[in-house]
Amino acid sequence: MNAGLPLRDPAARGRATALIVALVVLWPLLVVAEFKPAALFDAQNLRVTGNFLAAFLPPEAGREFLGFLARATLETLAIATAGITLALLLAVPLALLTTRVLAVAEIGPGPGQGRAAILHHGLRVLLTVLRGIPELVWALLFVRVFGLGPAAGVLALGLTYGGMLAKVYAEILESGDTKPARAILEAGGGRLQAFLYGLLPGNAQELTSYTVYRWECAVRASVVMGFVGAGGLGQLMDQAMKMLNGGEASTILLAFLALVLAADAFSGLLRRQLAAAGLRHRHAGVGPAGGGVIAALAAVVLASFLFLDLGFAALLTRESAQLIGEFLGAFLTPDLTPVWLGKVAYGMLETLAISAIGTLLAVAAGFACALPASGRLGRYAGQSSRFVLNALRSVPELVWATLTALSVGLGPFAGVLALALHTTGVLGRLFAETLENAPPAPHDALRDAGARPLAVFLYGTLPEIAPQCAAYALYRWEMSIRMAAILGFVGAGGLGQLLYFELSLFHHAQAGTVIAAMLLLSLLADAASARLRRGMAAG
Amino acid sequence: MSFTLAGVGLTHANGFTALADVSLAAQRGERIAVIGPSGAGKTTLLRLLGAALRPTAGNISLLAADPWALSASGLRRLRSHIGVVHQAPPLPPRQRVVTAVLAGRLGEWPLWKSIASLIYPADIAGAREALARLDLGERLFDRCDRISGGQLQRVGIARVLYQRPDLILADEPVSALDPALARQAVNVLLRDAEARGATLVASLHAVDLALAGFPRIVGVRDGRIVFDRAAAEVSETMLHELYAAEGSELPTLAREPRQAVAPVDGGAVLTGARCR
Amino acid sequence: MNHTLRRLALKGALLFALAPALAGNLSAQENTLRVSAIPDEAPTELQRKFAPLGKYLEKETGMKVVFTPVSDYAAVVESLATKKLDLAWLGGFTYVQAKIRTQGTTAGTAIPIVQREEDAKFTSKFITADPTIKSFADLKGRSFAFGSPSSTSGHLMPRYFLQQANLSPDRDFRNVAFSGAHDATVAFVAAGKADAGVLNASVWDKLVETKKVDTDKVRVFATTPPYFDYNWTVRGDLDPVIVKKLTDAFLKLDPKNPEHAEIMALQRASKFIPSKKENYDGIEQAAKAAGLLK
Repeated sequence: MNAGLPLRDPAARGRATALIVALVVLWPLLVVAEFKPAALFDAQNLRVTGNFLAAFLPPEAGREFLGFLARATLETLAIATAGITLALLLAVPLALLTTRVLAVAEIGPGPGQGRAAILHHGLRVLLTVLRGIPELVWALLFVRVFGLGPAAGVLALGLTYGGMLAKVYAEILESGDTKPARAILEAGGGRLQAFLYGLLPGNAQELTSYTVYRWECAVRASVVMGFVGAGGLGQLMDQAMKMLNGGEASTILLAFLALVLAADAFSGLLRRQLAAAGLRHRHAGVGPAGGGVIAALAAVVLASFLFLDLGFAALLTRESAQLIGEFLGAFLTPDLTPVWLGKVAYGMLETLAISAIGTLLAVAAGFACALPASGRLGRYAGQSSRFVLNALRSVPELVWATLTALSVGLGPFAGVLALALHTTGVLGRLFAETLENAPPAPHDALRDAGARPLAVFLYGTLPEIAPQCAAYALYRWEMSIRMAAILGFVGAGGLGQLLYFELSLFHHAQAGTVIAAMLLLSLLADAASARLRRGMAAG
Repeated sequence: MSFTLAGVGLTHANGFTALADVSLAAQRGERIAVIGPSGAGKTTLLRLLGAALRPTAGNISLLAADPWALSASGLRRLRSHIGVVHQAPPLPPRQRVVTAVLAGRLGEWPLWKSIASLIYPADIAGAREALARLDLGERLFDRCDRISGGQLQRVGIARVLYQRPDLILADEPVSALDPALARQAVNVLLRDAEARGATLVASLHAVDLALAGFPRIVGVRDGRIVFDRAAAEVSETMLHELYAAEGSELPTLAREPRQAVAPVDGGAVLTGARCR
Repeated sequence: MNHTLRRLALKGALLFALAPALAGNLSAQENTLRVSAIPDEAPTELQRKFAPLGKYLEKETGMKVVFTPVSDYAAVVESLATKKLDLAWLGGFTYVQAKIRTQGTTAGTAIPIVQREEDAKFTSKFITADPTIKSFADLKGRSFAFGSPSSTSGHLMPRYFLQQANLSPDRDFRNVAFSGAHDATVAFVAAGKADAGVLNASVWDKLVETKKVDTDKVRVFATTPPYFDYNWTVRGDLDPVIVKKLTDAFLKLDPKNPEHAEIMALQRASKFIPSKKENYDGIEQAAKAAGLLK
């Protein structure tokens, strides 16, 4: 044995410190999130949930109700379609104006550079605000502006997704080959020409594919927005859940699952077709088939707008524009008194706690489901756990929250569980994919050396998949923070509960503070996860 | 008997026969080198001996048990007595060397110890001792992706040393090492087997290395055993016949003529001239 | 840059061109009375309740009556302010909010025209399914369900009276839930989702009569003093002729007329009486005292 070499693990001190720090941070988070698993097994809660779930059977199949359901389903689809169309109209010009590829100023100094820089910067801030405020909050605001019907949902989707699409469009344009566009700009061409001739040909497929994917997300989002009165399936679900009408709730859930899975499949099919078409003919032009598709799309979009009978025209009168201006203006003078700021700060902490604990639970449960889902424990286990993961994933957090609020009572813990359930579905699938792609050799070698399955996983597989899984978990945590901010609309704690209450009472100044806090959280989550990801990529 | 293969064959689902009608037996404590051209079936043979593959024909007995008649836990216990050195060390890049070595005894440790050891290494001294035998003691707390390929291969050997199996199977264990280190590493394995009375079966690409250290040589080609002799009885003709497909030169540690490798326990002395 | 602007302008123009088509029958609105109600009960229930009244109003005013259910109290108020509604069924607190919201706007201050006789002496019922809860004092440390935060009888007045009894919901209750609607509050309490709750007396009586609630399990343990509640409110700048017609139509309703009797039964009204802004000054003060009005 060489003297002088440590027989103690030099990493031990660092690990112990990290563990203590984690516990010190986790403990208050658990307290704030009112983490009480015992509530799940509380006899009364079990009975309440049991009774409600028992009422799921048989699902409501009355003719009148099915009529409502069909209409609501169509409305949800139409809201998603109209919303994404609006988002597209907003995103394309914003992306063109903000992407660096098309910035004439990037070529070199010229007249008007300062003004262009200010405009550029201003637009990026606008995009951040559009994206940073959850669509549900936009919907809640627009429900007040438009009062009645799905117009609020369409506009809310249009704005949030407009911001998101614009950002991603700009990124796609920047990531591709930028030389053709640059050449056109240098030859004195305009932004639009440079885009149409220099960028669009190379990026059209990716842009379209992402838009289709977003449409699929919009279907899910438009269901959720119904919970604040923006029409569609969500509104129906909200009523059924509030009245604890199990039969109706189960029928709506079934319709919702079918819709989400269908949208999923349809969007997947469309994107595969796009990819295949992109490989088939690289030359320009859409061809007769493409023309047909475009015509059909236009018809669907038009039908959506007509079906929803949106009252946007009312927006265009000077008077209503003024009213809306007044309304939105009321939020720009937030309540900054110390008492209120204290309350909002606690709301932020609660939101953070809900998201952090919910994500941690989901990581653990995700691993537990991913092992069988990756096919390591046999085919039967694989198929059934994949089914469970899909079901968990298909139901949005907000819907889960209405259920968990029954199981553990209202409050942040219900939010924790709701986030955990949905996120388990998402992470479980991602973890399973990571597992399937992990190199099998370390695993097999340990198995062949007689190690127990759990030990094989911990020593052979976990180190291989840990970085990827951690990256996924961080990414989901970031999403969860945004989501935790709105779970309060159904009574699951956090900033949402404050916002719902204050908005209901027309306390616009107070609501303004809460919305600013949500924006702040969203920006912090953005920055923190970007940093952590960079750190992990480097380490 | 350490192991017995009787008429063992392995035909893959796609119809390819990797091994056909192999019969081979070894006493406890024997040290055997398996040689033969690439694709001869050496790795398959070792995987059968490690109970990692199930034969499609014939009978197999490992450490006095039929592995494929055992229960799942019985098979696991049997496997914990067999140690395998892989050609490409199956070590996760982000794992630390100490953890990779300690993993050798996962089959022996209770589950709680396996888990606890992830938090604080359970047997730092043991891992250090195994690594020190390969001059790697100072690499104990490095991450596996921070050491060279040759060092990594020796970490793989250290894991098996730490495991202390009754049957050591080494599949091209020194392919990434330079000649001097390769000789040293093979000698460490031979000495460990000898000291503990364990059986060692190593497949080696370098003929000189095999003939220098191993008392018994098994030549494999096209999924069959071509010869099974004491090292001293292996003639150059037999070797040339074995490697006919790979040209007129025999694979050795280095192409240049070299000095005899010191025999470990009275095996044949191989001269550089003989290799030419 | 120019190209982009032009492109933007083009899109704008397209929106303008489409807008009238999207807005539907804009011209028909002249002769349409747009009605809604605060969603203090399930929207489907509200629609059912309104159907015969709507037909009656159509006949009396000669206008087409369209009822739109909403799921949000504030939406009704905003819709009055943005002139998307002509007539609305409001709670007392909602009326105060609507009054404040529409004061000084082009829509004109909202005017309450009629209310049910019962609304002049309205009460709220505190209910529970827990045998250990017998008075306000037993509510400490328990979970409690209000209706909607905007509801008069489901939140504001009960909160006010609780405060009069030295109970602060935010401080003294373990958990405060907002069920969103009166019937949902009963569901919350019956299911045990909340230990106790409060709802408007009229809805409670209806649920008891129609046996929608198991009175062996859920019982009333306290009732508030009476206060002014619901009314029918019109938009401030609605044509006075129409306002007159509507007011008369309501006041004319007579329980002895079998056709009217059905309408009144659904509205749970024995008689409609004229209403006025001043009726709701008390509620405004209570809201200020409870900190719900800033």
